[in-house]
Amino acid sequence: MPTQALPDGLVAVVKRDCPTCVLVEPVLRQLAAAGTLCVLTQDDPTFPEGMASVIDDTGLERSYGLGIETVPTLLRIEQGRETTRAVGWHRGEWEGVSGVRALGVDLPDYRPGCGSLTTDPNTADELAIRLGGFTFKSRKVEIGSHEDEHEACFDRDWSDGLPVVPPTAVRVYRMLQGTRRDPKEILGLMPPDYEPCTVEKVAANAVMAGCRPEYMPVVIAAVEAVLDEPFSIHAVVATTMFVGPIVIVNGPVRKALGMNSGVNALGQGNRANSTIGRALQLVVRNVGGGKPGGVDRSTLGTPGKLGFCFAENEEDSCWEPLSVERGVAPGTSAVTLFAGAGVRGIVDQTSRTPESLARSFAACLNGTLHPKLFGGLDSIVVISPEHLRVFREAGWSKRRFIAELMDLTTVPVEDIAIGVGGMTPGMPPREPGAKVAKFRQDGLYVVHAGGIAGMFSAILDGWSPSSSSRITTRVVRD
Amino acid sequence: MHDARNLDGAGIPPLVVASTAFMQAAEVQSKALGYEPTMVWVTHPIQDRTDEELRTIADNAFEEVVAKLTASQ
Amino acid sequence: MTMNTTTTLIDPTGEHAAVKAKKSPRPATLDGITVGVLDIGKARGDVFLDRLAVRFAERGIKVKRYAKPGPSRPAVIETRQRMLAETEAAIIGLAD
Repeated sequence: MPTQALPDGLVAVVKRDCPTCVLVEPVLRQLAAAGTLCVLTQDDPTFPEGMASVIDDTGLERSYGLGIETVPTLLRIEQGRETTRAVGWHRGEWEGVSGVRALGVDLPDYRPGCGSLTTDPNTADELAIRLGGFTFKSRKVEIGSHEDEHEACFDRDWSDGLPVVPPTAVRVYRMLQGTRRDPKEILGLMPPDYEPCTVEKVAANAVMAGCRPEYMPVVIAAVEAVLDEPFSIHAVVATTMFVGPIVIVNGPVRKALGMNSGVNALGQGNRANSTIGRALQLVVRNVGGGKPGGVDRSTLGTPGKLGFCFAENEEDSCWEPLSVERGVAPGTSAVTLFAGAGVRGIVDQTSRTPESLARSFAACLNGTLHPKLFGGLDSIVVISPEHLRVFREAGWSKRRFIAELMDLTTVPVEDIAIGVGGMTPGMPPREPGAKVAKFRQDGLYVVHAGGIAGMFSAILDGWSPSSSSRITTRVVRD
Repeated sequence: MHDARNLDGAGIPPLVVASTAFMQAAEVQSKALGYEPTMVWVTHPIQDRTDEELRTIADNAFEEVVAKLTASQ
Repeated sequence: MTMNTTTTLIDPTGEHAAVKAKKSPRPATLDGITVGVLDIGKARGDVFLDRLAVRFAERGIKVKRYAKPGPSRPAVIETRQRMLAETEAAIIGLAD
């Protein structure tokens, strides 16, 4: 490895905070007396004391360039290039590298060294950015020391209303280590501004959301799903209705990230659940530019628009996971994106038969958006363990359950005609006996999640009969 | 500058009136805050003017102030 | 953190616009608008602002006066809150 302007001869790399480096101080003096020795000090330029050619390498630039992992390291430089090195103190090796005999005769024959400061976890990433040639494609924003960096993020309108983790260069670099994807890769153009959304931008927003680097593959998959044409993210952001993107995670990645599919699965408290959903919304908001008061005209919105992500409980389910329903091979990690509103509860603590329980579900489903608004809707049913038990014990498959729900939510038009019940909304009149289905064909999906106690399931309402957003599934890749 | 930014962020569009002596400080602060308010500049100096002179300076700036309070940004 | 150090953040936005803080829309007209005049407290600024207030009054534009405790400190929170409640636009002066 070429060295930057180090003279031919010997180079020793040391730090004061290393007992072995202190031990070999007399050896360094011997070598200095015997020929050319240059000492690079990593932490304290006054160590070793009283020697002529000590170079202050507290910036670690030379140590980084030489690939030093241990101190002390002794190198021989000939014609500007390293020819050999000894790592730690070993008399035989040091005599070999230096060509000087009888080194450190009062010292033990060998002593292992300490870690070089270039390998310190706190500095390694900073060095990779400063010295390792890693460059960010994104614009840099400088925050002066008089400005609080958290307030700075609020002031620049990067926040969803809650504090964000300031996306420093080191944090974004670390976040990028969570994926093998090239930071410069463009995942797509994010509406409504149609700006390129790079992996690097996803990482910056994932930092702000509070993600760990290992969440990146899931966040990236969610962003890719949202950028898929059928999901219609532009329309999802711009609608006056409630919806926001809901992320449902399947496969081994759930356990790898410690996601929650049990107690309070749709609620707060789990870092992966909370921050993955949030990272997606921050990407949509910051890269795409769709914000409340601007393109986002949602009349009421929902708390889920801060972020809504949870994992399906596959292990305790007798039904196939949502991802498998959507065509992904079993055992493959995937995210499914659904444009959904809030959480509507189905409270049925007394039904013992699948028929009765299915009717409870259907009665609640008929209320999606409005009890008299039918045709072309979609929803996701989140079925809890206690409710699933009723269907499992009766031997119902998921397919049968959904078919039953579709049937029970298909009603005579005259029951929900305009004006019926004293309410204007409803269906225009049709021929006698005509029926109308509440949901689109393939508009009802079922996911299993929740704590083991509680006969409560939930409906995640879809958007509207004229919604252009389609449920979208994407495989998670490293 | 901080006051202007705080008001702007909260819904009140501000106009900052300053003498040209403030130009450098304004640029530095703007850059640091990531915020550029609408400005009306008046001639320096201010401190040693008579009351009459200051009133004239205000009169000269008045139309610009009115215009910029409602101008599109 | 020492004085004069800066923190470098990676811009998380689509870089559609220059990095800048939120700006509020300006009113189309000053009719019916109350303009808040915030005196930042620099010497002689009051004479200047008093004259602006007179001219506004002649024009039939409503003005409310506010003051900061001193030029190098931000306005106290109560002053800001009053301005938010009582005005639709603001003049801040006289800086030099």
